[in-house]
Amino acid sequence: MKKNNSDISRRQFIVSGAVAFGSLAAVGVGVKYLQKSNDNEDLLLRPPGAVAESDFIYGCIKCGLCVQICPVQAIKLAGINETLSYGTPYVDARNQACDFSCDSLQCAETCPTAVLNFKQFKVVGEKAIEKYYNEHDTKEEGFNPFKTQIIAMKEAVKMGVAKLKSESCLAVKSEGFKGISRGEGFKGVNRTPGGGTPSAVPLNTKEYDREICDLCVTECPIGESAIVLELIENNGSKSYKPKVLDGCTGCGVCVMVCPTEPTSIFIDPKKS
Amino acid sequence: MLKNIFNSSKNKPPLLAKKMEEMPHVKLGMDYKTWCDSQPAGDKWRKIRWSVLIFMNLLFFLSFALDLSLLEGSLSGSRLFGFYLMDPFSSLQLLAISSKTGYIVHLTTNFIIGTVTILLFYFFLGGRTFCSWLCPYHFLAELAERLHDYLVKKKKIKEHKFHLGLRYVFWIGFLALAFFTTNLVFEDMNPVGIISRAIIYGPGMILLWVFALLIFEIVYSKRFWCRYVCPIGTTYTMIGKPSPLTIRFELDKCGYCADCQTVCLVPHELWFVKRGKATQEVHHTGSDCTNCGLCIDTCAGNALKYTIKGFDKIL
Repeated sequence: MKKNNSDISRRQFIVSGAVAFGSLAAVGVGVKYLQKSNDNEDLLLRPPGAVAESDFIYGCIKCGLCVQICPVQAIKLAGINETLSYGTPYVDARNQACDFSCDSLQCAETCPTAVLNFKQFKVVGEKAIEKYYNEHDTKEEGFNPFKTQIIAMKEAVKMGVAKLKSESCLAVKSEGFKGISRGEGFKGVNRTPGGGTPSAVPLNTKEYDREICDLCVTECPIGESAIVLELIENNGSKSYKPKVLDGCTGCGVCVMVCPTEPTSIFIDPKKS
Repeated sequence: MLKNIFNSSKNKPPLLAKKMEEMPHVKLGMDYKTWCDSQPAGDKWRKIRWSVLIFMNLLFFLSFALDLSLLEGSLSGSRLFGFYLMDPFSSLQLLAISSKTGYIVHLTTNFIIGTVTILLFYFFLGGRTFCSWLCPYHFLAELAERLHDYLVKKKKIKEHKFHLGLRYVFWIGFLALAFFTTNLVFEDMNPVGIISRAIIYGPGMILLWVFALLIFEIVYSKRFWCRYVCPIGTTYTMIGKPSPLTIRFELDKCGYCADCQTVCLVPHELWFVKRGKATQEVHHTGSDCTNCGLCIDTCAGNALKYTIKGFDKIL
């Protein structure tokens, strides 16, 4: 009679079980090794609301719901070259930054395991609405508490902080910029702050003409609490420098619009 | 009641094999061969099942590609019409790790709803139903299994079987790995999630791992990952233990041809179809059964059909 699966002997089970146990242990050692060697590596820029990387790495179940909900497709899933971060979401700001044009941080809201933690934004937004109600009368013309909610929520984002590389910055070199910032072929989109464009439009449709390049300052979705063009007067000679302030959310729009190649401004992801 | 669910009827003494005059072909006055051929092997259920599997995975793809918002996410975690669904083993790993680190308090209501919904859904539909009706790796492995069977038949390769208890070693092992490394280790090598993400977000180098698994299944051991390793399947086996949806077998319609066991993806679940093995007039398949319906399609005597336990008489 032919042997069937359940007849296979106990001895074989012990042998194959030991092999299985051994290979699992080897995987475990490998993971531990990768965790150690990853400690010194650069962090990925996580989407808004990301919890500390040490929690993020196991809390993210790699479903990709945040990727799907982002209207400007700023979020991508890491490949196997990121080893243990495989399948986790990140923002490649140089190619497509988070420009907050969703106005609701829905990537954080959709996250089922709250590694993109929406609660903090919700609380901040509710407080802003409450404050608006206290300061404004509902019969007022143009009464709209949601604008302040949207602003408060995006200002609460801390993905990282922008850092300037002064040696290549056009403003530092007192150079202007004329034309399309990243060239005709660039696919990224962004929404001009201050109602310039109601929704995100391709960057290659925008033409700039600046005597001193200040694209990172004027395109910043947060505004002057995050980045300003600082005037430096030195023995009568004037020079400029973009200065990153505490309000910087690390969204990466400045990185995306920076016309120099490589970029003169980059995001240092949040470490906590 | 519980005894009925968990105690296998396998341990009972077998009934006597049917006598010649009790065989279905004799009752119909046919010879055995004609009877076997009288019901040509169909593939109704396979067609339905493959359609469902391809449709659901396509729906994942189209929801993202065309921004349809019907079925967002991937098989690791998704939203069906805004209603969350979670992969049970990935939830288990996450619960294990987060109860260690204290992160568990931050998990959302949607996570709990998603996990409970999936557990309930597959409790009613028979745990491993997921495998043959939805899992994209299963689809590839089912094709690989055919190739494997062909190669074995041609004597090009030898079949290697392992003990089925091995998957419990892996199930506990992967949970322990997640717990001790504080990392969803299994998710980095889970072909279900990898293929699902590749379909939806585009392929990557990690597909080489899936390819390697398939090659191993073709040339060495049939359905190695699904049978002996995959902890998602094992989780579904556990959920499906008391499940009401199974395949029902009626001894008096059976001609002992065992065609069903030949086509079965988990042949040990059809142990009762062989001559002299059945211990009851009616048997139900256990929770390793993926409810694929291949046996129903092939059975000449219609001895096998889908059933909902407890509603046997009504149906």
